[in-house]
Amino acid sequence: MKIAVPVKFVPDLVEELTIDSGGTALDTSWLRLIINEFDDHAVEQAILLKERGGGQVIVAMSEAEGADDFLFASAAKGADQLIKLTGDFSASNNHALARAYADLLKELQPDLILTGVQAHNDLDGSVGPLLAEYLGMPYVGYVSGLTVAGDKVTVRKEYAGGLIAEMEVNLPAVLGIQAAEQPPRYVAYSKIRQVMGTAKIEERVVADLDLSGGITVSRMFQPEVAERATMIEGSPEEVADKIIGILKELGTL
Amino acid sequence: MPIRDTFWNIPHWAEIAQYVAAFLTMAIFVAGVVRRVLRWRQGRAEKRSGNFWQRIWSLVIQVFAQRRTLDETFPGIMHFSIFWGMLVLAIGTAFATVDWDVTHLFFGFQILTGWFYIVFELMLDILGLLAVLGLGMAIQRRYGTRPARLQNFPVKKLAGDDLYVLVMLSFIVLSGYLTEGLRLAVTQPPWAVWSPIGNAIAAFFLSLGDPTNQTLHLVIWSLHILTAFGALLSIPFTKLFHILSVPTNIYFRSLEPAGKLPAANMENGAGVKEWKQFTWKQLLDFESCTRCGRCQDVCPAYASSQILSPRNMMVKLDAHIWNNGHALHGDVISADELWACTTCRACVQVCPAFIDHVTTFVDMRRHLVDQGSMDKMLQDALANLGRYGNSFGQSERMRAKWTQGVQPAVKDARREAVEYLWFVGDYASYSATLTDITRKTADVFQKTGLNFGILFDAERNAGNDVRRVGEEGLFEMLADKNSQALAKCKFETIVTTDPHTYNTLKNEYAWNGNRPNILHYAELLDQLIASGRIKFSKKLGYKVTYHDPCYLGRYNGIYDAPRRVIEATGCELVEMPRNRDCAFCCGAGGGRIWMDEKDVKERPSESRIREAIALAGVQAFVVACPKDLTMYRDAVKTTGNEKDMLVKDLIELVYEAL
Repeated sequence: MKIAVPVKFVPDLVEELTIDSGGTALDTSWLRLIINEFDDHAVEQAILLKERGGGQVIVAMSEAEGADDFLFASAAKGADQLIKLTGDFSASNNHALARAYADLLKELQPDLILTGVQAHNDLDGSVGPLLAEYLGMPYVGYVSGLTVAGDKVTVRKEYAGGLIAEMEVNLPAVLGIQAAEQPPRYVAYSKIRQVMGTAKIEERVVADLDLSGGITVSRMFQPEVAERATMIEGSPEEVADKIIGILKELGTL
Repeated sequence: MPIRDTFWNIPHWAEIAQYVAAFLTMAIFVAGVVRRVLRWRQGRAEKRSGNFWQRIWSLVIQVFAQRRTLDETFPGIMHFSIFWGMLVLAIGTAFATVDWDVTHLFFGFQILTGWFYIVFELMLDILGLLAVLGLGMAIQRRYGTRPARLQNFPVKKLAGDDLYVLVMLSFIVLSGYLTEGLRLAVTQPPWAVWSPIGNAIAAFFLSLGDPTNQTLHLVIWSLHILTAFGALLSIPFTKLFHILSVPTNIYFRSLEPAGKLPAANMENGAGVKEWKQFTWKQLLDFESCTRCGRCQDVCPAYASSQILSPRNMMVKLDAHIWNNGHALHGDVISADELWACTTCRACVQVCPAFIDHVTTFVDMRRHLVDQGSMDKMLQDALANLGRYGNSFGQSERMRAKWTQGVQPAVKDARREAVEYLWFVGDYASYSATLTDITRKTADVFQKTGLNFGILFDAERNAGNDVRRVGEEGLFEMLADKNSQALAKCKFETIVTTDPHTYNTLKNEYAWNGNRPNILHYAELLDQLIASGRIKFSKKLGYKVTYHDPCYLGRYNGIYDAPRRVIEATGCELVEMPRNRDCAFCCGAGGGRIWMDEKDVKERPSESRIREAIALAGVQAFVVACPKDLTMYRDAVKTTGNEKDMLVKDLIELVYEAL
């Protein structure tokens, strides 16, 4: 069983986010990056599967400050192969990232691909479905547990309202992980340091990024304070009358 | 002339039999001791030699003078009496053996004659009574008063071991007196008056008349000899082994500063997973425990939830190293027990056997951390500490946010040379409820004209509690980052308000052998007051009590400086019953502040506040640690004493009195 986990870093919300002078992107000079929480769960789920049924776990990510630390920490948890995509990812979007991962994964031929179901900086859709599309594999998102049996995997998918569905998916497949079966584990610094001495990070150069299909940001801005709220007071009948009056005034009725 | 009539009334065969028994006893005794020593040697190496005379001196003070044992009156006098009573009787017996089997046998003379023999008899007769007194007290205590700490054993059969010791020692002493009395009853030497106890017993037996007394003498003598040899040969196999293990443990005790935790074992994973990963000295610790329970009585974790008893931990660990087939983690010691420890060191402080419970607990925690096994809160705190350098999970850029608005601006010690580098610490920097105090501290420093600066965002958590949680690698990383930042600054003295920071900077950072002067603010304020740099304009006149932080008091012995500061502000200081080295921990140390509380009956901090409330007329509970402020402000609320007791930082008194 070969499990690949393509992950990405996102802006760490512990720092205040600022918009750059162009007004279409975050100011990267103050930006600090952190692993996307859902991707962290995907790595944990992959390690759990390996511990349960054996296999090999590959963690891949694109170059970023702190990427090596994250990859080594994954190795200390039990990942077998660490891959870092290098190149200029400064203008990247999820479409481009998914294409780059797809190229890599076509070569690696994993049986199962786990990735975080979403990230807070997904502007052009999440990576998982895009990746499934480019690889021509089935995709199930919002997965919070899975069991592998032969060339099939049974996944538990969460729906709103507390509903959970169990469904069978043929392998190879891409799964968007909502939560691992247990919270991501702690890995002691001494273990990471040990791993640094033995584990190798393979670097793969991504020459050209294909951004097509993504979106163009026309304006990025902090939530603006508006003073349009009006408190309507009175009995329910009076309030209803006033609302109708306002709607008529706005020309919606 | 008075002379010791050795082997009076003893047939030749019995005398021979006694020597045979003596040699057998010796053989079994030696084999038993060798068995123990071989077990210790299966532990990891640890250097504990050097400082020979200092070590010998602690034997004199702690073994012969029973210094720490005597800290508790009743058990102290009890043990002191048994110790000296039995020791003198044993020495007397050894002396008599030399007298008879060496000087008499080979050189044809006896030492125990004349006035010397009289003194000898008198000494043994009187001091034997000391043993009787001690044993009587022990029997009364164990089976009469039965204090709680002598009950709840994790290993039930040890109750038999306790009984055995008392029965054997009592029988030896009493049968000794009877033998003496019977001999005096028959021989009636003129010097019998010099054995007052024996003579009194003789008077009783005289009524029975010879030869009954002679037969009785032989029977009791035989029983006395058999019991004595039995007790001797059982030393390495019973609780009596503490006679050997405790002095050995005291001799080899750590002479390092209390605040310097030994480095972690890194072979086969960090910390201690299996008993052989303990050092030989830790194994010796386990074998030195006499189950007296003093540690349990002072343990905040035991008091609040009963999850952890340091005594029970030692008992279980000792049993474990002789029993195979159980997992150290899980079967023998639970994770909950290990995490319950606040590392306050009260147990270590009171242990008459000088056991270091805390290093053992931390070594086992190190294994749990290595396995990633910990509660969610602690895991988040460690992840934050690794990523942001503070447990609050805030950006390091926010670390010096409290300085905003402080005028004149707080100096950046990275940019200009300062006299005092103030290592602010996490709680004082980030905790929203504490920044007011932190600003007051800055204000006092500025009003005093102190040339000080801080590290701003280059400061990291100093790592004291990270280390005690068992995350040695993270501690090293934090210490490295702080050391690098400090190495770039020019300063003369480091000052901190946090005792935990103080402890690790002072005792655990490497400093490349060139440690700067490190002060707790209580010490600095004390110095500034003494030198006249701080002059108070008013006398506060409050009646206050003071809580010694564990890492300032027990760990670093700083008790007087904060008290002098309090008195200098014109406050009347009233001590709580548990003060100075007996101070009761707030419950936050050793990383407990980052952990889930689990089931607590009464938080240590609540117990402490109730202790202070019981003092008549005390208005304020003064602390000298940012974590204490947090803990006790909560505790006055949860105990409903918010109106009756103010929790004040030391700096607030100084600020107010300026």
